[in-house]
Amino acid sequence: MTAYIIRRLLILPLILLGVTFIIFGMMQLLGPDKLLAAYVNPNVFDKLSDEELEALKDKYGLNDPLVVRYGKWLNGVLHGDLGWSVVGKTYVSDALMQRIPHTAELALYAIFPVVGVGIWLGIKAAVNRDKFIDHAIRIFAVIGWSFPDFVFGLFVLMIFYSMLGWLPPGNFSNWVEDIIKSSDFHYITHILSLDALLNGRFDIFWDVIRHLIGPIITISWLWWAYLLRITRSSMLEVLNKEYIRTARAKGLDEKVVINKHAKRNALIPVTTVGGAMIINLFAGTVIVEVIFNRVGLGSFVAQAATQLDYAAIMGGALFYSSILVIGNLIIDILYATIDPRIRLG
Amino acid sequence: MNREPILQVKDLKTYFYTEDGIVKAVDGVSFELYQGETLGIVGESGSGKSVTSLTIMRLLDEKARIEGGEVIFKGKELLKLSEEEMRKIRGNDIAMIFQEPMVALNPVYTIGDQIMEAIILHQKVKESEARKIAIDLLRKVGIPEPEKRVDQYPHQLSGGMRQRAMIAMALSCRPQILIADEPTTALDVTIQAQILELMKELQREYGMALIMITHDMGVIAETADRVAVMYAGKVVEYGTVDEIFKKPKHPYTYALLSSIPRLDVEKQELKSIPGTVPDPLNFPPGCRFHPRCDFAKEECKNIDPELVEVSPGHYTACPFYKVLEGVEVK
Ligand SMILES: Nc1ncnc2c1ncn2[C@@H]1O[C@H](COP(=O)(O)OP(=O)(O)O)[C@@H](O)[C@H]1O
Ligand code: SF4
Ligand SMILES: [Mg+2]
Repeated sequence: MTAYIIRRLLILPLILLGVTFIIFGMMQLLGPDKLLAAYVNPNVFDKLSDEELEALKDKYGLNDPLVVRYGKWLNGVLHGDLGWSVVGKTYVSDALMQRIPHTAELALYAIFPVVGVGIWLGIKAAVNRDKFIDHAIRIFAVIGWSFPDFVFGLFVLMIFYSMLGWLPPGNFSNWVEDIIKSSDFHYITHILSLDALLNGRFDIFWDVIRHLIGPIITISWLWWAYLLRITRSSMLEVLNKEYIRTARAKGLDEKVVINKHAKRNALIPVTTVGGAMIINLFAGTVIVEVIFNRVGLGSFVAQAATQLDYAAIMGGALFYSSILVIGNLIIDILYATIDPRIRLG
Repeated sequence: MNREPILQVKDLKTYFYTEDGIVKAVDGVSFELYQGETLGIVGESGSGKSVTSLTIMRLLDEKARIEGGEVIFKGKELLKLSEEEMRKIRGNDIAMIFQEPMVALNPVYTIGDQIMEAIILHQKVKESEARKIAIDLLRKVGIPEPEKRVDQYPHQLSGGMRQRAMIAMALSCRPQILIADEPTTALDVTIQAQILELMKELQREYGMALIMITHDMGVIAETADRVAVMYAGKVVEYGTVDEIFKKPKHPYTYALLSSIPRLDVEKQELKSIPGTVPDPLNFPPGCRFHPRCDFAKEECKNIDPELVEVSPGHYTACPFYKVLEGVEVK
């Protein structure tokens, strides 16, 4: 197992390097003038003379050969220098760092309903195949699967905000803002709900959660329905395997047969799909943050795209790609933990 | 045989209720199994051998319904036991080995873990003790380096080794009856012989009764004391191996025997019985073998032949068995 993890970790930098190639390549398509805009505060940029522009191009190496430019750019990236964001009105790295915790909070909370409810209901349905509970769960899943997430999100807003006033949009209420910006409020994890708890402010915690429920349901809605279907069919397939009969022939209790012998095998394909989904939750936050008017990485990148804020777009792309690569690594390790055939070859 | 049988199967009927209709997989099967003996159950694929054994173990899926009959194990009617009582018998008193060692072991647990599971469950011993027993068992079934193998996963073992591990697992609680459903069919010929030899040896040592299920008369000749020949969900002939091989009293048995490849004839083709096994959704009327029977008469379409005793302990379901007298097995 350790050897497997080390092997996978050794490949990781290579994959990340590949990602930087692609992103750098896309940037080159913009041409030197637009690239320069991505390095300089625009208030300064507009006032520059042609000579000064050329001097800046030289300074940022935009006239250098491609390889040298890539080297310099990569060096910058490694030192956290991703350029200037017009939309964020600050350096891209700062703009990202401010917003990542908000999005991480949303995505991390969404994992629980997706994995918990999806897998749990999928197994329940399979074990009770063709009984009432199976039919009920499947109808639930079909409904989930038939709604695009943004449509569902709009319904949530309409019903739970407009009509009932329960789940407001945004990240938190106005009264919270003053408190969390005061020096009395300590940032420990930068995940607001956790920090609220750690500061002993249960009122803030509850307010933040209230703002999270709608987005979380919206993000997870489609995914858990999908995961449920995959878990159910995988579990049904495993329950028909001969080794399940062998387990029963030993005299094992049906609970042991399901929880020990069937579940672990059934979860092998679910891990692959489920893992990819969890990574995609990060991407899913883009739509949800826009619909629910939340501050976060997703809404930031969406705004950057409409205002052609190249540096921010590239920075966001770099971040999302890294999440994808690292997420995939974690899934592969998880996969190998469950299935000895992967780990032992 | 005037001893009490350890297992008695009486007029067993197991049907599957499928979308296409009722599959009468087992349709009136009876036999006895005595202490320490090997009973062979032989018949072509689809004749209901596996369903018979799964009915005895009560391991059928929901589509199956046991329509009638009794399974009596040491005076207990197994079909009437609660699921919990039945679990105490499975793996402990009656154990089973399946056909495909490649798929009958759970790929995500070690061999040792899977053997120890039954030991811990039925014998209430500690894990360290169960592990010792598992290693001893692996050694006993002829697996080299058992201390190492015990921690390996099924995919790290060859087919023959996996079947040995299955045998170790089945024997882990010293069952009184072992049901082996085509234990060597998936293995190649040399390994097949080794596994059969091993099973015979262990049977003697443990003194257990063995039900050897196979489609191969050669395996029967090798291992069994008595045989039940099955065709289309019924036992059509039942008797000692000696009687059945030398004086078959049913045309189907005769056909099966004729299809065994003979060692003394060179370059022969592997013969199979002409015609196909009937569709269990729609058995032919009368004697179910009549469309393929070399000796069929017109009236065979209208009779429902029952097993009758033709000599002590030898039964046949063909009323015209006398036509076989003097006919040599080809
Ligand atoms: N789960 C099942 N559902 C429907 N039909 C089945 C099922 N299991 C077995 N059968 C049918 O029952 C008949 C007997 O099967 P089986 O006992 O497996 O034969 P054998 O072991 O002698 O080859 C076959 O026709 C088979 O198709
Ligand atoms: S009853 Fe007729 S068809 Fe059936 S085995 Fe005997 S001779 Fe053949
Ligand atoms: Mg079979």
